Amino acid sequence: MTNKYYEFFCPVKVIAGKAALEHIPYELTGMAAKRPMIVTDKGVRAAGLLDPVIAACEESGLEIVSIYDDVPPDSSTAVVRDIAGVYRSEKCDSIIAVGGGSAIDTAKAVNILVSEGGDDIAAYAGAGVLKHPLKPFFVVPTTAGTGSEVTAVAVIADTEKHVKLPFTSSFLLPNAAIIDPRMTLTLPPHITAATAMDALTHATEAFTCMAKNPLSDAYATAAIKKISTSLLTVMDNPKDADHRLELAEASTMAGIAFSNSMVGLVHALGHATGAICQLPHGLCMSLYLPYVLEYNLESIRGPLGELLLYLDGPDVYAATPAARRAEASISAIRRMRDALYKHCKLPRTLKETGRVTEDQLERIADVALDDGAIMFNPKEVTVEDARAVLRRAWA
Amino acid sequence: MLAKRIQPMVFQARRLYVELMFQVMGRALQAVSEVDAAVQKDARALPVGFLFEMMVMPAGSSLIVEHVGDGRFHYHGSSAPRPVDLSIQFKHIAHAFLVLSFQEKTSVAFANDRMLVDGDISYAIRMTRVLNRLESFILPKLVAKRAVKEYPANLHLPEKLMSAARIYLKVASNFVETART
Repeated sequence: MTNKYYEFFCPVKVIAGKAALEHIPYELTGMAAKRPMIVTDKGVRAAGLLDPVIAACEESGLEIVSIYDDVPPDSSTAVVRDIAGVYRSEKCDSIIAVGGGSAIDTAKAVNILVSEGGDDIAAYAGAGVLKHPLKPFFVVPTTAGTGSEVTAVAVIADTEKHVKLPFTSSFLLPNAAIIDPRMTLTLPPHITAATAMDALTHATEAFTCMAKNPLSDAYATAAIKKISTSLLTVMDNPKDADHRLELAEASTMAGIAFSNSMVGLVHALGHATGAICQLPHGLCMSLYLPYVLEYNLESIRGPLGELLLYLDGPDVYAATPAARRAEASISAIRRMRDALYKHCKLPRTLKETGRVTEDQLERIADVALDDGAIMFNPKEVTVEDARAVLRRAWA
Repeated sequence: MLAKRIQPMVFQARRLYVELMFQVMGRALQAVSEVDAAVQKDARALPVGFLFEMMVMPAGSSLIVEHVGDGRFHYHGSSAPRPVDLSIQFKHIAHAFLVLSFQEKTSVAFANDRMLVDGDISYAIRMTRVLNRLESFILPKLVAKRAVKEYPANLHLPEKLMSAARIYLKVASNFVETART
């Protein structure tokens, strides 16, 4: 009997497409929620992205009771406590997160406090601490990359103890993710590129790492196809709502894939680089992806070769000998990065970022080796291996 | 019919095997931390007094080791002197048996959601590295290859034999000491 085994879980209702935001009032009332609070950041508000959300609710007679728009890029336990205080004083009964990874993670943590009680979010850190469903929670992503709207994880910084607190529970998942192309239409080119490469990395690692399974594979390949056909179109024509929606859907699908199959060395190196050099996560993903695929090549030749079909289309796939498809997949990803570099100077090497020094590589390798994602990398990684990948990614 | 009759005995044998393996691994963790510099280097990053537990849910067999400083572990048996800092929990004894009988690699067991980590993930990664190193030393290469993601290329037979002999000697001494007390 085979030892093959997997788990797959995604109870999030996905509401995607034209006028998706206008479904929010119906979804809220369906859960008996009448006093929603919006959690967002200043950038989202300044870009006018809250207006269609508020308008959609007000048109249906649903009042947004409170808006917290001061979520910082790296949210903290103090911010979570403050927002929970506002939620309670305004007698809110549900949360709508509008934003990227930080706003969504913050809203997840706020939902823990307002549902479970207390002011100390650290008390709920860890896996499986939560035992009950939380308050109604909806997510409207404004970037197409993190996939946070379908992940059961939140990370919040404890600024007093200088540690990052991870929260893992299926109860953190929102009741619905609302994917509306209006939310990403104004995303600047370099953020569009970096976040799409983040999603591409989620899907690629989901498809090539150890916990891959048939269901996550289906989401991963569909996401890769959408990204490879839509990303450069959107870079050429940022107001193309149809392809913007394709990217947003791809991000959610990649999120579903990787939250059920985990990620590998690209993420381990990316987390370490983000922590040490303060580089944006999506940029790190784009930067390391081909180098890590080359490192893993002999362990993932089969699945990586299959990805050529979704990266370059059926004609190229059919014309490429099976033994060369894995290398051709890496080349396709490199071509995509080169095109993005032309469009918006998205760095392809650590040197091109201008924010990493060569003497930091050793520290990055050390930190990456302790990252949880490394467990699921298909090939064992020693500190020398990590250093070698970093040296190749340097210039 | 026969299968039904012997099933309780199979379950009992599996439980005893897992229990015995935890006892061996706990003592071997202490021993390897006394003989191997790579393990000591990994363990030094753990706080002194750090308690690590490996157990079968909900309250089955367990092993507990403490980092007593300078990269050395002390085996506490199956009961912790205080709340543990890191716990790796098998969801069922069948999953523990798969891993401890080397039918499933530790990394595959993590990927297959057979185990939960309660505590700092980076410490769990470190402890998994230590466990892999230990298994590479004490198991024959053919068996070790089934237990770890990748058998270390730089672990050659003389070093493996020397280290394994020292570890087994220490494990045996510890068993004898425990039996005397």
